[in-house]
Amino acid sequence: MIIMAKDRNSLVFRLVITLFVILVINFFLPRMMPGDPFSTTSADEVGEEIIVMTEEQRLYYMEYYGLDKPVHEQFLIYLKNLMKCDLGKSIHYKMPVSNVIILHIPWTILIVLGSTLISTITGVILGTYSAQNRKRGSDRIMMTGMIAFAEVPSFLLGLILLLIFSVHLRLFPLAGAITPFAHYNGLAEQILDILYHAFLPVMTLSLAQLTGVYLLTRNTLITVTTKDYVRTARAKGLGEKTVWIRHALRNALLPVVTRVGFMIGIMMGGVVLVESVFSYPGIGVTLRSAVISRDYPLIQGILLVIAVSILVCNLLVDKIYSKLDPRVAV
Amino acid sequence: MIKNINISGYAGILSYVQALNIYRVGSNIAMGSSRMFLKFSIEGKIGVLGLICIVMLSVFAPVITNYPPQKIAGNSLEAPSSAHVLGTDELGMDIWSQICYGARMSLTVGLAVAFISGLGGGAIGILAGYIGGIVDQVLMRIIDVTMALPSFPLLIVISAFLGPSILNVILILVLFSWAKPARIARSQTLAIKENNYIIAAKNYGANPFYILRRHILPEIMPVLFVLIIGISSHAIIAEAGLAFLGLGDPTSKSWGMMLNSATSFRSIYFTPYWQWWLLPPLFMLIFLLLCLAFISRDMEKVLDPKLKIKKGF
Repeated sequence: MIIMAKDRNSLVFRLVITLFVILVINFFLPRMMPGDPFSTTSADEVGEEIIVMTEEQRLYYMEYYGLDKPVHEQFLIYLKNLMKCDLGKSIHYKMPVSNVIILHIPWTILIVLGSTLISTITGVILGTYSAQNRKRGSDRIMMTGMIAFAEVPSFLLGLILLLIFSVHLRLFPLAGAITPFAHYNGLAEQILDILYHAFLPVMTLSLAQLTGVYLLTRNTLITVTTKDYVRTARAKGLGEKTVWIRHALRNALLPVVTRVGFMIGIMMGGVVLVESVFSYPGIGVTLRSAVISRDYPLIQGILLVIAVSILVCNLLVDKIYSKLDPRVAV
Repeated sequence: MIKNINISGYAGILSYVQALNIYRVGSNIAMGSSRMFLKFSIEGKIGVLGLICIVMLSVFAPVITNYPPQKIAGNSLEAPSSAHVLGTDELGMDIWSQICYGARMSLTVGLAVAFISGLGGGAIGILAGYIGGIVDQVLMRIIDVTMALPSFPLLIVISAFLGPSILNVILILVLFSWAKPARIARSQTLAIKENNYIIAAKNYGANPFYILRRHILPEIMPVLFVLIIGISSHAIIAEAGLAFLGLGDPTSKSWGMMLNSATSFRSIYFTPYWQWWLLPPLFMLIFLLLCLAFISRDMEKVLDPKLKIKKGF
C-alpha cells in the first residue's frame, strides 16, 4: 500500500481519529461486558452468580477502583490519567497496569522485532535470488512453496513447528521464555537461554511474514529491471552485481520499507495467538488471561498499547518513505 | 481511468474487470464457471475438488458418522480403531464426528461473513461512489478508520464482551471485513461512472437504478467474487483463532474449538494423544485454507491474463 501525496496531508488527522475511536471502544467495551471482576458467573445457569465476597466488600472495591461513578465521569478521569501515562490498576495482578505491561512487553518486542528482522533480510535475499533466476526451476519451486506457506495462518504454523521440533524431536522447549529456576553462570548463558526459548516463536512469525517480503521484492525487482535506467546502467558497462544492487535493488526496496511497517502492525495483532501456542509470556498471553479474568484496566491498557504501536508504525513508515523517495514529498 | 483509483495496487483488479466482459453476471454463470474450471491449473483443480470434498463432509455428516459429535460414545482418549476411526477425546467423544460436524462451522462462518460483508460492503461502496459528495466523504472516513483498527485484538475483546455464540462471531467478523470490498467497489464505481456510455445512457434518461443494474453491477461483481473468497478464508482463520483462544461457541465443536481443548489438555505433548486429537483438526484447517487459496489465485489468473505477464509467471 503506497501512500500517495494527496492522502498524506490527512494522514495525521486520520490517525488521530482512529486513536480516538480506539479510545472510545477501549473504554466502553470492557464496561459493557457481562459480569464484573468481583463476582464469578456460573456457566451452568444464566443469571446465577456466585458471589465470592459480601455486598459490603463489593461496594468497597467498586469505590476503591472508581467503578461506582457515572460512566462519562469515568471516561474523563480515564483520559486525564492517560495524559499522565497512568493506565490504572490491574485488578488481577494488583499492581499498576503500566507495570504489568512493562513486565511482559519486552518478550513481545523481542519476538516481533526479531522476526521482522529475519523475515525482511531473508525475504529480500530470496526475492533477489528468485528474480535473478526468473523462470528457471529454482524460482518456480520457491514461488509455489512460498505461496503455500503464506496461506497457513501463523498460529497453525506455530502448532506444526511445536509438534515437530518440541514434541517429536524434543529439540526446543514446549513453553515459556526462560528456563524456570535457572541459575546462570554469566550473561552469555542467560542470553543463550532466552534465544533458545524465543527461537520457535520467532521462526513462526518470520515464516508467516516471509512470503510477503519475498513476493514483493521479487515482483518489484522484475518490474524495475525493465526500466530504462537499468538498461542505461548495463549500457554504461557496469558489472551485473552493481546493476542489481545499486540500481535495481535500491529502487525495489522502497515498497519493501512500507511493507515492513505494516508487517509490524499485523504481527502485533497475530502475536496473541502465536504467544498462546508457545505459552510465551508476552502481552498477547496477558491479554488472553485478562479477558478471561475480566481485568478491565489491563485489557484497556494492552489494547491501547497494541493500537498505538500500530499507528506509530504507520506514521513512521510514511515519514521514512518520503525521506527515501523524494518524489512522494511534493 | 487509473487516476480515479485510490490505491494503485487495485489497478490490476480493474484491468481484469475489463477482460471479463464475457462472464457477464446473470448470463451463463454455469457455463462461465465450468469454462473457468477447465482453465484452472492443477493446484486450482485440486482446490476445487478439495473444497467439494469438505462441503460433502459437512452436508453428509449424519450419514458418514456413527455417533453425534457431542455424545460420549466410548472411553476417554481411545486410540483410533474400527469403532472410532480417529479415536476419542478426553470426554470420550468421537473425533471423526467432530471433524465432520466441525466442517459445518468453518464453512458457515466463512461463507456467511464473506457474502454478507462482500455483498453488503460492495453495495455500500457502489452507492457511495455513485452518489458522491458528502455521503462519499463520510463513508471514506469510516472506511479509513475501520481499516486502521487493529482487528484481531479488538476481535478478541469484542467477542469476549458479546459472549461466545456463532452469530456473534459472524457479526463481529462482518464488522471488520466490509471495509475492503466497499473501498474497492467505490473506486471501481467512480472509474466506471466517468465512461462515455454511462453519460450517454444518463442523457437518454436512464434512471440511476437502471445504470447501476445494467452497467455498474456486472462490471464490479467479478471483483467482488474474488474478494469474497479472500474474506471467507480470513473469516475461517479468525473463527479458528478465536475458538483456539477459548472465545468460540462452547456448545459447538468447531475445528478451532478442538484445537483449544486439545492444547489446553494438561501435558498432552507428553502423551501420544496429540497424534489423533490435535493433528486432524490442524490438518483439516490447513487443507481448507490451501484449497481456498488455490482457487482464488487461479480465479485471478483466469480473470486477468495480463496479470500473468505482470507478475512474471
